[in-house]
Amino acid sequence: MLAPYIQAMLSGLAVGGIYALIALSFSITFTTTNTLNFSQGEFVSFGAFVGITVLLFMSGATSLSAIPLSASGGLNYPIVLTVAGVLSGLIGIVIFVAAVRPFTGKPGMSWVMSTIGFGILLQNVGLLVWGPAPANLPAPLGDNVIRVLGAGVRPQELLDLSAAVVIMIAYDLLMRKSRVGKAMRAVAHSPQTASLMGINVQAMMIGAYAASSALAGIAGVLIAPVSTASLFMGLGFALKAFAGAIIGGLSNARGCIFGGFALGVIESYVGLWQAQWREIAVFVLIIIVLAVKPNGLFGARLVEKV
Amino acid sequence: MRTGRTIMATIAALALSTSVAFAEDIKVGFNGDLSASPSALSGQAGVLGIQAAIDDINAVGGLLGRKVILVTRDDLSQPPKSIQNMSDLIDNEKVTVVFGPTNSGNALAWKHIPNQKHVPSIGMVGSGTDITKPGPGGGDNYMFRVSMVDRSQVAGLMVYAKNNPKSKKIGYMAETTGYGQGGLKDIQEIGDLQGIKPVAVERFGVADTDMTSQLNKMKEAGVDTIVVWAQGTPTGQLLRSMEKINYFPLVLSSWAADNKSFFDAAGEKLAELPIFMRTLTDDLTPKQQKLFARVSAKLPSTPAFPFVVHGYDAMMLYAEAVKQAGSDDGQKVHDALENLKGTYDGYAKTYKAPFSATQHEALTTADFKWAHWQAGKLRSYSDDIIKKLTAADFKI
Repeated sequence: MLAPYIQAMLSGLAVGGIYALIALSFSITFTTTNTLNFSQGEFVSFGAFVGITVLLFMSGATSLSAIPLSASGGLNYPIVLTVAGVLSGLIGIVIFVAAVRPFTGKPGMSWVMSTIGFGILLQNVGLLVWGPAPANLPAPLGDNVIRVLGAGVRPQELLDLSAAVVIMIAYDLLMRKSRVGKAMRAVAHSPQTASLMGINVQAMMIGAYAASSALAGIAGVLIAPVSTASLFMGLGFALKAFAGAIIGGLSNARGCIFGGFALGVIESYVGLWQAQWREIAVFVLIIIVLAVKPNGLFGARLVEKV
Repeated sequence: MRTGRTIMATIAALALSTSVAFAEDIKVGFNGDLSASPSALSGQAGVLGIQAAIDDINAVGGLLGRKVILVTRDDLSQPPKSIQNMSDLIDNEKVTVVFGPTNSGNALAWKHIPNQKHVPSIGMVGSGTDITKPGPGGGDNYMFRVSMVDRSQVAGLMVYAKNNPKSKKIGYMAETTGYGQGGLKDIQEIGDLQGIKPVAVERFGVADTDMTSQLNKMKEAGVDTIVVWAQGTPTGQLLRSMEKINYFPLVLSSWAADNKSFFDAAGEKLAELPIFMRTLTDDLTPKQQKLFARVSAKLPSTPAFPFVVHGYDAMMLYAEAVKQAGSDDGQKVHDALENLKGTYDGYAKTYKAPFSATQHEALTTADFKWAHWQAGKLRSYSDDIIKKLTAADFKI
């Protein structure tokens, strides 16, 4: 009798972990540069396809659809994660320099359009390189269903969940304990003051974009074995993740993570009741949260001086 | 002055000669997605078929003694681009027929254009039921099709569910896109005609990776047969979710289950569960095998082969109509298509009066084949229920 509820919780946490990871990547750039990368979804898809391409070379397969199921075994998957993360991070630097930096600190929201435009560019380059067909990224730990208290879950979903938790704890420690983390928080608090204190603000901002994009690319490699990779898969995840970040509070990394997980679980339970109401329920929740706490559940209150 | 006049005359003569050269060719158009979405593979396969037919026509002296040329326009699966392509093909390129599109939604966005401009359109990919329905306000209907039709597939699936003694509790599932909801409407209407009362109806998102919540409700309602309407990847995800909760009802699915995207998402073992309808299976006739061998080097994915066949037959039926009309004038060809004399031995079937004033579908339920996956191949499917079905059982 309880099995459907346990299933909904497990399924919700598995999807929520991915939302949380992408929500965190939104928060990183928002807190340091006050801008968001609206092409985060394309970075997710891009990361997944970079991962598949790396596997293609490592396995010696002849085409994207011919990668053997065992290709992700051993050290291959960690290598794929690293390459996808690094490459996405590098492109993150490009998007910051080309599409965000010219507009930071200026009135208006030109960076919204320029990051969306960059995403369209990235997607079209992807279509040229990989074509429109979806591709498979084999799961590193196999694909057999694991049974937990009558509910079923796939190894990759558990891996996604644990990877998300590990990455988030690491990020939290980095931000709170290390010098770089403290410098980043200083920039987030006040770029002018941080600059006066001898912190290289530009470097911090570039670093934030690199980290945020790397995270999106890694998320792509983590999701691909669950969802099958397509160049169009990222947008849906990024939109939900953004909703999660808004619920939790964009300016608070922990809040974003909470929001991502909460969204996954809520979706799953609403599905148990009326699946077609899921999107409506999520956005009603956002409206309620924003009405009560305009900066999200855990967001810092912004005092705008006029 | 005089030199000026000479130049003008030369230009005019040149312009005349080029326009004469153009008039000698018959231009046919394709408008559909060739690059931007997973269904682009179907569009690419369709173009291969049209081109193969044109090569065959030109090899024996062309149509009405004129060479046939194919002009393709990629609509990137976007309706506005597709509408723009339609005007470009008809007004600028002066094509005499438009094949396509790849996505049903785009056909619905521009189906008034062929009707207004009196240029026939023959669909060979998109399966949306409403594409070939007459437009509002009557008038001639220029939308024809040589492909699958959603409603005809649904008619097949529902008659199977109705006549299957093991299907006692039937549930419907569909994705929340236009494709899914359009199919669900057909399922519900034909279900009513067959007297089927579903015990549960559930929906899911096209990008969902986990449908266990919806499936648990189906399971609790005791559903033993699920009719599902969704694209390839989400249908595959649905089967993966079934495995998670160890619930394996009979699955009757849309033909999206023949996509490679479905097979990849579901994996080889789970992919074998659903039964669906399509125009061809991998059990090809020798004649079809010849066509397959001819295009296989360029074919983007093997399951897309039916679109080569649809494209080939659509082009040939158009050619038959032009020959019968003795002209490539849109109105005359339209009338000839609706009254095609004789038979045409195509790759999908032998066509005998494929279209009429009220019937614009060349392929209907009777021409579809039951199919399922077996060891990575799309095989024909048959069982006692299918063998006993008669034409009278089908309701549409």
